[in-house]
Amino acid sequence: MPHRTLLIAVVVMLAAVALSANAAHAVWSGLVIAENVPQPAQIPAELTKFEQTLKDLFGYNQFELIGQSNKTLRTGEEDWLAVSKYFSLHVDAHGENEAGYTLNLTLYKEKEILLETDANLSRSSPLVIKGPQVGSGQLLLVLVVNDDQIHRRRHAEPSNPITAGWYRLRRVIHRILP
Amino acid sequence: MKTFEEKWTAWLDGQLSGRELVEFESSLPDLAAAEAEKRDAQKLGTFLKKELGARALTNEEFFSHQLRERIMRETEDRPPPRSTWWTVPRLVWSGATALALFLVTTFVLMTQHNPGEQSEYLTQILNSKVDPAANPNATVSIFEIKNDNKVTVLWTEGLQSLPSDYAAK
Repeated sequence: MPHRTLLIAVVVMLAAVALSANAAHAVWSGLVIAENVPQPAQIPAELTKFEQTLKDLFGYNQFELIGQSNKTLRTGEEDWLAVSKYFSLHVDAHGENEAGYTLNLTLYKEKEILLETDANLSRSSPLVIKGPQVGSGQLLLVLVVNDDQIHRRRHAEPSNPITAGWYRLRRVIHRILP
Repeated sequence: MKTFEEKWTAWLDGQLSGRELVEFESSLPDLAAAEAEKRDAQKLGTFLKKELGARALTNEEFFSHQLRERIMRETEDRPPPRSTWWTVPRLVWSGATALALFLVTTFVLMTQHNPGEQSEYLTQILNSKVDPAANPNATVSIFEIKNDNKVTVLWTEGLQSLPSDYAAK
């Protein structure tokens, strides 16, 4: 009897760990119009980290969000849309791997497919896709893996070795029991 | 060489004879008193033999039966020894296994990246395609920006340009 109780406790704990570990990430997808204007607006918060990289890469001074989506991934098999008036980006996740998530991306202009790509989106490496020229600007697609809000709040607290060890253990178990 | 006490005991038991008997009796200061004491001792011996002799049991079977019954009762009343999985060798092995697991887990956790640490993986483009009918001159290239952001870029050229209306939210 004590062994059965212990086994149940271990299974419940592992399930809780697996569930909580699954809710650790969110993929932010944005449709961005980049252009040069005399009075550039402030860059959206989601792109602040990459502002200089985007400016250097594309040569524009303003980056405006026309559509976005922030999807928390629990199973790694979700799909979602980031839409603007004329464009939509369909993201179909095909599971988590060691680096991040395998995604199928399809960019639509209304109902017409402009671009389709498969990518392994890394947790530490954003993806930027240069789309078509729109007026004097450029359509960009940006995808970033972030920690979700709950996860971020936890990490915002001062860490100690026990907490850090616990998070590492969760990640190890999550890898063993996807 | 026998002591006086040994000779005295032997004389009381009638064990002395011959020259030894004559010599011992002649050494006694009062032979008559000694003879009286000898008689008393012999009487006492006879009496003790008669009174303290082994008494034969008349009901041996019943006695043995009672004894066996009592032994069996006491054996049944005693609680049986509790069996437990935690024998000493198993305790030792369990302890050693737990310690080994702890060390392995500690090693694995210590060698993991910190949660805030960036992994070495970059985003990979597995494949990409542009509709060739609508964009016959389109090309796709992929490169990585090797700065702190590690941005992976899918760069398209030759896509059909669209009017500024398409920039609407």
